[in-house]
Amino acid sequence: MTLETEVQSLRQVPMFRDVDPARLKLLAFTSERVQFAGGQRFFSQGDPSDAAYVILEGRASVLLHTPGGDIQVAELGSNALVGEMGILSDTPRSATIMAAEPTTALRIDKRVFLELLAQFPQMSLAIMRELAKRLERTNAQLVAQSSS
Amino acid sequence: MLQIVKRVSRGNEGGGAALMEKSLFRYIWTHSRRDQLIVCAVVLASLPFYFMSLDLPRQIVNQAIQGEAFRDGNATAPFLHLKFDWPAWLGSGTVEIFEGFEVGRVGLLMGLSFLFLFFVVVNGAFKYWINVAKGVLGERMLRRMRFDLFSMVLRFTPEALRSVKSSETATIIKDEVEPIGGFIGDAFITPVFLGLQATTALVFIMVQNVWLGLIALAVIAVQFTIIPRLRRELLRLGKQRQLASRQLAGRIAEVLDGIEVVHVHNAYDWERAEIGHRLFNLFTIRLKIYNRKFFVKSLNNFLAQLTPFFFYAIGGYFALRGTLDIGQLVAVIAAYRELPPPLKELIDWDQQRLDVQVKYDQVTQHFAEERLAPLLDARQEAEDVPLVGPMVGEDIRVAGPHGDMIIEGGAFAIDLPAKVALISNGGAAATTMARIIARRSTEFHGQIRIGDRDLLQIPASVAGRRIAYAGVDPILFPGSIRDNLVYGLRAKPLRRAAEDRREMDRRIAEAIRTGNPLEHISDQWVDYERIGARDENDLDRILIDLLDRVGMGDTIYLFGLGGRIDPERDRDLAERVVEARRRLRETFQTNGMADLVEPFDPTRYNSQATIAENLLFGVAVSDEFRGRNLAENAQFRSATDRSGLTDDLVQMGLEIAQTMTEIFEGLPPGHSLFEQFSFIGAEELTEFEAILRRHARGEGRLTQEDRTRLLALPLAYIETRHRLGLLDRRLMSRVVEARGLVREVLENSGDGVEFYDPDRVCAAAPLRDNLLFGRISHQVANARVRVAEAVAAIVRELDLLTDVERIGLDHQVGTAGRLLSPQERASVNLVRCLVKRPDIMVIDGALAPFDEAQAQQLMEVLIGLLDRQSLFMVLPNDRQAGAFDAQMRFRDGQIIINETAQRTPRSRQVEPGGAQTTAGEVA
Repeated sequence: MTLETEVQSLRQVPMFRDVDPARLKLLAFTSERVQFAGGQRFFSQGDPSDAAYVILEGRASVLLHTPGGDIQVAELGSNALVGEMGILSDTPRSATIMAAEPTTALRIDKRVFLELLAQFPQMSLAIMRELAKRLERTNAQLVAQSSS
Repeated sequence: MLQIVKRVSRGNEGGGAALMEKSLFRYIWTHSRRDQLIVCAVVLASLPFYFMSLDLPRQIVNQAIQGEAFRDGNATAPFLHLKFDWPAWLGSGTVEIFEGFEVGRVGLLMGLSFLFLFFVVVNGAFKYWINVAKGVLGERMLRRMRFDLFSMVLRFTPEALRSVKSSETATIIKDEVEPIGGFIGDAFITPVFLGLQATTALVFIMVQNVWLGLIALAVIAVQFTIIPRLRRELLRLGKQRQLASRQLAGRIAEVLDGIEVVHVHNAYDWERAEIGHRLFNLFTIRLKIYNRKFFVKSLNNFLAQLTPFFFYAIGGYFALRGTLDIGQLVAVIAAYRELPPPLKELIDWDQQRLDVQVKYDQVTQHFAEERLAPLLDARQEAEDVPLVGPMVGEDIRVAGPHGDMIIEGGAFAIDLPAKVALISNGGAAATTMARIIARRSTEFHGQIRIGDRDLLQIPASVAGRRIAYAGVDPILFPGSIRDNLVYGLRAKPLRRAAEDRREMDRRIAEAIRTGNPLEHISDQWVDYERIGARDENDLDRILIDLLDRVGMGDTIYLFGLGGRIDPERDRDLAERVVEARRRLRETFQTNGMADLVEPFDPTRYNSQATIAENLLFGVAVSDEFRGRNLAENAQFRSATDRSGLTDDLVQMGLEIAQTMTEIFEGLPPGHSLFEQFSFIGAEELTEFEAILRRHARGEGRLTQEDRTRLLALPLAYIETRHRLGLLDRRLMSRVVEARGLVREVLENSGDGVEFYDPDRVCAAAPLRDNLLFGRISHQVANARVRVAEAVAAIVRELDLLTDVERIGLDHQVGTAGRLLSPQERASVNLVRCLVKRPDIMVIDGALAPFDEAQAQQLMEVLIGLLDRQSLFMVLPNDRQAGAFDAQMRFRDGQIIINETAQRTPRSRQVEPGGAQTTAGEVA
């Protein structure tokens, strides 16, 4: 698996869909490809947010810490982006991510990511567009919930 | 051994002169009288030989070749006939000393020729000896002067230091005294020698004709009065120039020291203009000097030629009138020809003398008496008793810089040892008091006594040993952390280092002759006993323990892992490191961590390492094998050529350049991402684009230069990290195959690379790499942290921790400690004080780099460490003062002591309210 395949994966991520391919290549090049063993944590709830991850291969579980123990709230598969909200909002991790099987992910360092955003407005715009879409979706869900 | 030590302390003249002599000549005369006289005597002794050699050619031509000696039909003539003719005015006569040998014509020619050769050799020998002696004399005096000046540097008062610039002082000691040193050898000898020559010629003229002699004398008198007068201006200019160039040096150093401000405020143009202006001034002064100098020179030449004019005109006139014998006139003119050269040189010497005197005056002014503290003999043996007992301050008055009183009639009494918090009232009082107690400031009235001793009267040797002071600025000297920590333990050498006997005698003899210290820096200066250490190793353990306590243990451990060991010097440790390497490998295998580190294997490609490292299979020792230089290295290139890898590497270089130019395009130059990630610097991007264009257009083959540049790129390539998909199995195995060839070629050409060997320590690699003997995986998540933990566990298990930390003590602190963080600098500063085990430790702002929690913790550590000693610490407020035995407050110029009624247990609970006013208030 080379840089090219990683760029393909990044392109599948909604947030990066509209980003210029050369920039995606830069993003991939400045990121690290890391492997997690099954059961190894990407990060734990409450940790400082230092990176976002794109899952290239494998699956990971999203766990929430509750008084009754950790509960799994979702499962992430290939091309899923995780941890991006933490690095954008500069808040601690809101959930634990744990590899469900041997998993390969692209680790996007927070500092590098923010520097790229600062350098390339087109990239920031793509991110904003995606965030706005998410907000819209959430609003729609809220409306749907309150009307139901 | 002891005897030598005694001789050492006696031989030293108290560390330099008390003050420089006002006159350079007196200084030279005082310190080099004997040598000057010896050289003078030898110069005089050489003169007869010199004159003989001048006379011989004439004799050879006249007597032997032209045959004057055989004129009267003599078949033989005397050789080596020594006789002395009395001059006419002493009543002529001849004294026969030796009749000589009767020899034939050829015999006389050969005899005289060999005699000539003999005198040539003798003169050469004299000249050689005189030159060396003068040079050595000058160098010795220069050494003495430099050392005296440096000793004075150590005595600058705090007040003087406010106006003294360090770089200017350095220029003075290094550059400005240099010409003085060059002059010293000639200071007495030249005037004596030349004066003698000139006088001889003058006397000869006088003897021939008194009037003509007087004319010559008159012109010389004019020369000697006018020329120096004209040169006075020259001296003034010289003085200006010296000051201006000294200030230039000072300014350059200032800019360099404050370069950050220059960068921040973009003041480049201003600084450039500033220096440009100074250079213009220097040039203008120089120009004036040149004009004046060469004018004076021409005038001097003119005056020298004026005398013959008089001789011709007046002497000729008298000769025509018949009052003067023509023969006499010719003789006078011939004699006068001998006069100008020594005269000219004498005037030049005088010029040089004045020049040097001016320089010397400028130098001594810089070290003027009022700038220096009184000469203290720091070595005097004094009664060394602990500084404990009642400490009493009476009527202490300190004036501030504006005449205001910081402390006015303050008094206090404390029983030492005690922990005293000096609580700042927002003004300078607490800091001033701290400096007074630490003996950093003597500018106060009143008296402080410890027991029955006046604080100010305690000899420097005792104070240096028993009082420690840590201020805001942790001053570190370049060197290792260890060097800085033991700085306070180097009061005097206790044992001589083994030294070659003859070399030592020579060194000591020279030191005595030049008033320099006799101690050698490789002597044992550190007083182990005093701090309770047995030897060097034990001292290291004490240092590490203290560093650990002030919270720098982890840092030292990390420095140690980054440090290097010398397997030759420390065989035992090297073996244990190799052992730890094996254990570490086993641990990784058994704990399922094998994929974290890819070991260096001579037969396998290490996919976590660069291609360069895989090719070398070792660590570069010299710079020519490092980084991009490797691609230019002829030996390395011949190895890659022979293994047929060059073309593949260049091809990879093309692909890397292609990718880099594509993805880094549009990023502004200087962006941090370039430095961090790109193979190609921003400034090279366009050059590589040009190479790529040339290649794409198929303009023939790439030039040799292009190939070298491209080849450099893949050398830093790591497939697992950069993931450009450029390395396949086939290429990897070819790289491994090429290793042997590379090693063979490089081994034949000296040691530029230290090769990896699984069973040996690689001296060029840091300890961390030697323990791992492999590269940490770039792919496995969190590998670095997990490996670090495993390494730490093994280090502890094999009892290597102290050894690692000892290597950490070798870590270099850099200029002014810039390679350390502010906290690390402050910690080193504290430990430097603590290791002395001072009776009184004064801390003022040394904890500033730490945050409040850390500072609090450190304060407790300090109180704990200085169990039976005194601690005076300046605190900004009384929040943390409860842990101290007493608080010293300052109010309206008064000093108020509050003793902590019930000493809070030395722990984290601090009660600010636990203080209670007692009768300590005296005012």
